[in-house]
Amino acid sequence: MTKRKQNHNPDEDIKFLEAHLAGTLKPVAPTREIVQRLGRRIQMPYRERIASQFSDWSRLFIVFAGVLSGMLLIITVARSVYYLIGRRG
Amino acid sequence: MPELEYNEEEILARASQGDRDAFGQLYERYVDRIFNYVYYRTGNTHDAEDLTARVFQRAMKHVVNYTDRGVPFSAWLYRIAHNLVANWHRDRSRKQEIPLDDIPILPAKGDHPERNLVRSQEQESLLRMIRTLPPERQNLLILKFVEDMSNAEIGAIMGRSEGAVKSLYHRTLLALRDQLEDQNLNLEGE
Repeated sequence: MTKRKQNHNPDEDIKFLEAHLAGTLKPVAPTREIVQRLGRRIQMPYRERIASQFSDWSRLFIVFAGVLSGMLLIITVARSVYYLIGRRG
Repeated sequence: MPELEYNEEEILARASQGDRDAFGQLYERYVDRIFNYVYYRTGNTHDAEDLTARVFQRAMKHVVNYTDRGVPFSAWLYRIAHNLVANWHRDRSRKQEIPLDDIPILPAKGDHPERNLVRSQEQESLLRMIRTLPPERQNLLILKFVEDMSNAEIGAIMGRSEGAVKSLYHRTLLALRDQLEDQNLNLEGE
């Protein structure tokens, strides 16, 4: 096998390099398994949808405020029940 | 192929109205090409698969906003892929991972098995060298050789004129040739 020296002739070198690039950068075939897996992922973008909901700050704030209000309400009711029972006792 | 182009317009119109089956047809048509592009930009099948999925997920999310302003749908997809690959490279450099991982050579369509072993070492050297080029030059080579696109088509994707692509291509080849000389890498004759 003959080794080819670079910069022998600039135009020839470029053509030679192009031929090698064409031989190296060939279209590859993703396996059927990969294509099917990709198809399944694209049909079910649940993870992305959940993540995008968390990136929605106004919605996140409402959820957070709702949870806090609920907790406060439960604590208030529990305290009043405890107070009423304590007075009777 | 005017009939195919017409069909694509129709499919696109349906997909942009939220028709998942129509989007599925677009997926079938472009998945191999996008995978190819991402594979050569990342150098491994695992990330190529992940990023290809994200390209189509993003495309599905935003296809409603896609309007044909002289940019073909394929160019729009490649731009999404390009942005995601750029983010991927940025994340990797932040994590300080070593980018020169082994580049597995997937069987190319129509390859001769008996030449694979000899070619793979040579190909790996050349691929590594290509991956040291600036991103836009890598894009250009991938679109030209892997996707077999014309300068005009590449220009539509890269947002450059046909002449600018031609000039960039020539400069890229010269840079590659110089790199080969600097590193004393001899490619075998055909």
